[in-house]
Amino acid sequence: MTAPPTARAGAPRRVALMITCLADMFYPEVGERIVRLLRRLGVEVTLPAGQTCCGLPLFNSGYHDEAAAVARRTVAIFRDADAVVVPSGSCAWMVKHEYPGLLRGTPDVADAERLAERTWEFSQLLVRGLGRTEFESAVEGPLAYHDSCHLLRGLHEGESPRVLLRQLKGAQAVPLPGSDECCGFGGSFSVRLPEVSTAILDKKLANLEASGARCLVACDAGCLMQIRGGLLRRNSSLRALHLAEVLK
Amino acid sequence: MSEPIVGTPLRERATQALGDRFLHEALDIATTKFIALRREAFGDFPEGEALRDRARAIKEATLQRLDAHLETLVANIERLGGHVHFATTAEEARQIILDIARRTGARIAVKSKSMATEEIHLNDALEAIGVTPVETDLGEYIIQLAHERPSHIIAPAIHKTKGQVAELFSRELNRPGLAADPEVLTKIAREELREKFLQADLGITGVNFAVAETGTVVLVTNEGNGRMVTSLPRVHVAVMGVEKVIPSMTDLAVFLAILAKSATGQKLSVYTTLVQGPRRPGELEGPEEFHLVLLDNGRIAQIAGALRESLYCLRCGACLNVCPVYRQIGGHAYGYTYPGPIGILLTAMLNGPGSVKDLAHASSLCGACADACPVRIDIPKMLIELRRQVDEQHIAPWPERVVFKTFARLLAHPALYRLGARLGRTLQRPFVRDGRIRSLPYFFGQWTRTRDLPPVAARTFQERWRGLS
Amino acid sequence: MDFHKLASDGGAPAPRRPTARTTKLEFLARIRGEMAKTRGLFPASPTERPAQPRQRLDLLRRELSERWPQTLARFRSEFERVAGVFHRVPSAADVPAELERICRERAARRLIAWPAEDLGVAIAPALGDAGIAVESMPRAVPPDPERRRLRALIAEADLGVTGADLAVAETGTLVLVSAAGRPRTTSLVPPCHVAVFDRTALVESLEQVGLVLEAWHDGPAPAERGAVINFITGPSRTADIELTLTRGVHGPKEVHAIFVDGGLGLHG
Repeated sequence: MTAPPTARAGAPRRVALMITCLADMFYPEVGERIVRLLRRLGVEVTLPAGQTCCGLPLFNSGYHDEAAAVARRTVAIFRDADAVVVPSGSCAWMVKHEYPGLLRGTPDVADAERLAERTWEFSQLLVRGLGRTEFESAVEGPLAYHDSCHLLRGLHEGESPRVLLRQLKGAQAVPLPGSDECCGFGGSFSVRLPEVSTAILDKKLANLEASGARCLVACDAGCLMQIRGGLLRRNSSLRALHLAEVLK
Repeated sequence: MSEPIVGTPLRERATQALGDRFLHEALDIATTKFIALRREAFGDFPEGEALRDRARAIKEATLQRLDAHLETLVANIERLGGHVHFATTAEEARQIILDIARRTGARIAVKSKSMATEEIHLNDALEAIGVTPVETDLGEYIIQLAHERPSHIIAPAIHKTKGQVAELFSRELNRPGLAADPEVLTKIAREELREKFLQADLGITGVNFAVAETGTVVLVTNEGNGRMVTSLPRVHVAVMGVEKVIPSMTDLAVFLAILAKSATGQKLSVYTTLVQGPRRPGELEGPEEFHLVLLDNGRIAQIAGALRESLYCLRCGACLNVCPVYRQIGGHAYGYTYPGPIGILLTAMLNGPGSVKDLAHASSLCGACADACPVRIDIPKMLIELRRQVDEQHIAPWPERVVFKTFARLLAHPALYRLGARLGRTLQRPFVRDGRIRSLPYFFGQWTRTRDLPPVAARTFQERWRGLS
Repeated sequence: MDFHKLASDGGAPAPRRPTARTTKLEFLARIRGEMAKTRGLFPASPTERPAQPRQRLDLLRRELSERWPQTLARFRSEFERVAGVFHRVPSAADVPAELERICRERAARRLIAWPAEDLGVAIAPALGDAGIAVESMPRAVPPDPERRRLRALIAEADLGVTGADLAVAETGTLVLVSAAGRPRTTSLVPPCHVAVFDRTALVESLEQVGLVLEAWHDGPAPAERGAVINFITGPSRTADIELTLTRGVHGPKEVHAIFVDGGLGLHG
């Protein structure tokens, strides 16, 4: 269930965008860039109406009944989609890994399983779904990639974003020491244990500094909120961007 | 690093730990090293992944026939001349061991590292009846002299500098002016403890594995204290959680192949000692009496419980080494016998979900622990389950529950969600400067004290969609 | 400061009278009760055991005897990797001289050793001639005064000489089964341990060790066998102080292995 969809009938021609609450509210430009990019690749993008959130924050804090209600809503909203693209590894994971379990024993479970099967995280869609790996860089490098935990360990995806960065024209990719180490966001963790969350973030920022990169790239809005929040607070000249902000 | 204070919430203990610069550095160096060693060991070991699956399967299969395997184990231990005792609670386990100590007239008990004996707080109980417990694992010996608790499952004194150890030995062992040299200090510990091994009447160990088919108790150490403790004193008491039983010697080989690699990156620990009852006739050395104490203390209730998978744990410490939280705060801040990711689950097992109402949130759910675990225990899943239990049993503070329930309602109704966005946009206005928010009042200040926040966008993506179509 | 008082006595307590002890039946009954509530997390079985371990082991030994040089090479490499010191001599008759060299290098004058029948070679005469005292461990337990003398002697010995029942190539491990005449302390207490072995002890992997253990426990144990099997992988070590590696904590600081090409004439 956590494997990316196999491009059965060829590459998807039409995808529904699951914008995610964080991108919707705080990073709408990421959504815009994804839409423009996909259209340029000849993919039609739809936006099912009435989206709110995938429910991961509720799930992670143990509010499973409430998370199930959100899951049911989301499944219904995306019922007609052949393919769904999500700009966030954690939300994609929630849909693919947890939705079927949350709706087990209810009439919606079959739809949940179908949705899980048809959902792509953004970098996966580009590389595995559409087979497109060469893009121009919209920013100056060097760029270093940070593995978000749910994408790397939940969806076992560490390759697709790296392929895209390696093949970027106009910017160099450099390795990030401890790239697979958590950034310290963890949802509510970031405010329940803010000192620990910040200490973990400090380590990530030190690693970024050590990498020689000018910009950190990630595929998760939560990570970006944490890392960008730290960089800005330190008045750093380094940046943190979503993958979609880097690809032209 | 001083001992944490009773009643201090987790957050305060964590913050205190973060302020301990030496601890921080020591943790960083040690965990980084262990991670690299483990990676190297498994990198060189293609069969490793299959063996991890096998090990996990053995643990699950054993639980599925736990009663039969324990019966076989008991029968074999008794056949070999050993005695088996059954302890439902920590108190009972202590009493069993105290009775043995009293009956055998023991004055000194040498101990080889055992988390199970820490769990039941055995040392204090022994002292109370006039038996001196002596920890013989160097790290445990150090913290025993310092009257502290271990800060890591396999490297208990990781938080102490060599200078602190030298000072400690100088003071406690009456050897003034010792050099802060690990070689010198190790030699002193060897001498001091050699005396104790020879004098001790009672040897107490844990159990890494107990092989049911042959009545074999397996001890894994690097120092040799496990061998000393089980060869020289007259009586050997081994304390084991019921989940440590494994079916056969063939299964043992599977675990031996992955345990040390996971813990320290070694192919095998220096000493793996297979003990089969008391000494046999004709043997010059070995205990005359062998006792195995089988410990429940909350484990049995998890056979059908939410924490069943945590019964697979080999106590290797791999999850501690990769945990971003543990790596920052160390073991003491957790406040219980078992620290780190698995420690949270074990604490809940021993003390109920209420005991982890804060600890269950001492995790960013990054999953590095599950990745590193040799038997693939899904720790994050169980942490979420514990959070769910805390919520279900209304142990979580009511303001938190109100916030989450409100949030849930917002997510269920798009109109409310959109209203929430508009409200956010309005309320944030006084705090937005240069496109960022640097400080917010109340609860939100927990974020903004150390990080900027992006403002809610002037138009959300869904509001912009029409313009994009 | 007393944070350990936070941790209470444990999880699901069964209601008990204060002084009563849990019996085996009660304990197992509780386990069965819990087991009955669940089928478990996934279908799983323990590792398949060899049906006839002794025969399988004989077969394995025959196979191994054909590739022992490679196995030895791997053993040497792994043994040295864990700081073992490897020696090789053509025949059993050459062992005493090699031992004498080892003793001289560290001024060892008092040795304890397995008896000649267990080593496969007599070392006491030649070493005695060189002024090195060898105390062979007794095969029967002597009366107390003698036991005390032995204990004191063992505690003062410079070096312990043993055989090895197995030499595991994968990990550089020596496996010693305790027995009458083969006490545990010979390879543990003196600061230097020397194990003498030949090709019949060689096995390749931990998996094979599993087979050997099954075979050793297939049927009743031989009368002289002791109660402990020790796996020794290099000298005693710790890194508990600032992660600095030091050797010779409670066990030996040095481990040597003398491989005898021509064999030791022991039953393999």
